[in-house]
Amino acid sequence: MDRGPRAAREDIMQVTKFGLLAGLALGALVAATPAQAQVTLKVWSIDGVDRPGIADTYSKEFDDANEDIVVEYRGIPFDEIVNETLRAFATGNAPDIVSFDNPDFALFSSRGAMLDITDRVANSEIVGKAQYFDGPLNSVTWDGKLYGLPKYTDTIGLFYNKDLFAKAGITEPPSTWTELADAAAKLTDPANNIYGVTFSARAGEEGTFQFLPIIQMSGGGSNKVNTEGAAAVLDIWKSLIDNGYASRDVLSLGQWDSTGAFNSGNAAMAISGPWEIDRMVEDAKFDWGVALLPTIEEGGQRSSALGGFNWGIMANTQHPDEAFRLLEYFVDQEDRIFADFGNLPARGDIELPVTGVTKKDEALKVFQEQLQYAQPRGPHPEWQKISKAIYDAEQQALTGQMSSMDALNQAQATIDGIYNQ
Amino acid sequence: MRFLNALRDGVGFDILLVGAALLFLVALAGAPLVYNVLMSFQQVDMFTLGALFRPFVGFDNYVAVVRQPEFWLVTRNTLIFVFGSMTGQFVLGFALALFFAQNFPGAATIRGLFLVSWVMPGLVVGGIWSLILAGDYGVLNVILRSLGIIQANVFWKSDPAFSIWAVVIANIWLGLAFNMLLLSVGLAAIPRDLYEAAELDGANAFQRFWTITLPMMRPTIGAVLSLGLIGTLQQFDLFPALTEGGPANTSNVAGFWSWQLSFQLYDFAKGATVSVMMFLLVLFASVIYVRSTRHEVRG
Repeated sequence: MDRGPRAAREDIMQVTKFGLLAGLALGALVAATPAQAQVTLKVWSIDGVDRPGIADTYSKEFDDANEDIVVEYRGIPFDEIVNETLRAFATGNAPDIVSFDNPDFALFSSRGAMLDITDRVANSEIVGKAQYFDGPLNSVTWDGKLYGLPKYTDTIGLFYNKDLFAKAGITEPPSTWTELADAAAKLTDPANNIYGVTFSARAGEEGTFQFLPIIQMSGGGSNKVNTEGAAAVLDIWKSLIDNGYASRDVLSLGQWDSTGAFNSGNAAMAISGPWEIDRMVEDAKFDWGVALLPTIEEGGQRSSALGGFNWGIMANTQHPDEAFRLLEYFVDQEDRIFADFGNLPARGDIELPVTGVTKKDEALKVFQEQLQYAQPRGPHPEWQKISKAIYDAEQQALTGQMSSMDALNQAQATIDGIYNQ
Repeated sequence: MRFLNALRDGVGFDILLVGAALLFLVALAGAPLVYNVLMSFQQVDMFTLGALFRPFVGFDNYVAVVRQPEFWLVTRNTLIFVFGSMTGQFVLGFALALFFAQNFPGAATIRGLFLVSWVMPGLVVGGIWSLILAGDYGVLNVILRSLGIIQANVFWKSDPAFSIWAVVIANIWLGLAFNMLLLSVGLAAIPRDLYEAAELDGANAFQRFWTITLPMMRPTIGAVLSLGLIGTLQQFDLFPALTEGGPANTSNVAGFWSWQLSFQLYDFAKGATVSVMMFLLVLFASVIYVRSTRHEVRG
């Protein structure tokens, strides 16, 4: 159908009118923005997905306080953040700043996906390498260069039920694994559904998280797992399960559920970390305390797991200077992270505020001491494969499918293959 | 105009329909499949993740997967999981279908209620079974103990002798209703007069089942079993909720392993390799199924 020239002219007028309106609107927008060019920073982390956390809160604060920088924050669930970032990096849509669980960090830093910030940190007035604990710092270091900063940290220790200890006539928490087994034997009370000890030897990162410290205590590490000492402790753990001093379900329970049994009084000791404290203050109807993780021999080498997240600037960022400014802001606010979010700073120079809850304050002191011995998992770009070799070996030994030494030897063969490729 | 007419009916229209279906199939199933097969012959890392053409490594990934210490264990578990689940789902589903075919009052309503298990998300089912199968405070252990069947608790999820069966039990429960429903439909389609005639001829219940029900149900059974195979090989949700493949891979199956390799260990090539192996297994089963039903179609 032909609408004729008149209709066409009307159309053109219509378009012009719209154009005028659009131009006005655009002008208004331009007037509202400050003269300097705006920089947009994308920040990804797991915070803010289920509850407010460090990254989402501080990103918003920084965004509000800085006219020249817009921070676009995106919360991504824990299970997806590595995959999502891998995909984004491969397709050139990576964020400027991202936060990973510390064993996942080397996957990115070792392949040049993270920005080398060694010099920036050295020249910074806010950030300094010296303030951080060694463990967290190692997890952001690759090949001697600094590719990120620790965000917060955590570790594991031994929770014990002081009431049950008193009842069994034990005065001190165990300091070696042999002592722990003896104590567990005395504390176990099947008639009242009480296990001596509970821990997590699950088929997953949590299993490695709790077992790698044993390997490190025996002089091994991520690249050397088949040590006599680690095999000996595995044998002790196996005997705990076989004798009924620990539930066989430690093989499938995560740390949170495993410690739940401790809170309800069904286990006299539990290996877990500071994230348990608030719930324990609430749920545990008995007197409890925290001790450092036992060692292999009396006075032997200490170690513990290193948990927590890291920050990093991704290598393909268009705005490294602004991104580093944001990173500095995050670091500058670290004295608030414990009070606001219950996260432990990865550094010793921040005094944790006293909460007034005696058990909580005492527990935190122990965990802060334990943190000095915490060692990272890896760092290695293929950490997840190493981790699987370790927790598979642990489970094979604990279920009696292989002797502890054979299981660790098999894991070592797998790990050698990963390190030597 | 003639072109448009040809499109509306006749050969042109047929081609249009076939073309649309094929395009759909190629885009949504074919391309990912080819991409997956391609990936299993390549070396994949984070820098080449988005690329289509990556370093070609021949059968290296296949050799590496077979050489993994857990390969044969996973193969064994996959077979136990598939045949255990399918047998359980089918036998119990058939028994229930026959039971509800008796048309007692309320049969149809109760049969409908069984669908609850089928509409529930796998993760929820896994979470519930995780509680039921828990070692220390699990409901199943309490029941078995009070019946005197077991003396000590069975650690379903943590004992290597039981872990794969824990997932099989949950999966049977999950797929039972679907099997029962399909088989009920098949049963309803058998003409009543066949049974009446057989009864007049003096056939007993077992003979009627063996000579009428089973032969008449053959196409339905074939469809149920092949859907069961596919559904079981696809089953994923129950594993993270119940055992995570543990302890020490004793409940790990090919599907979960493939996911684990790709998205937990970030070894995308090996993950793709395992899924191609699974695809070949399903292909093999489908060929057997098609061959076994071919004469049915002709007859």
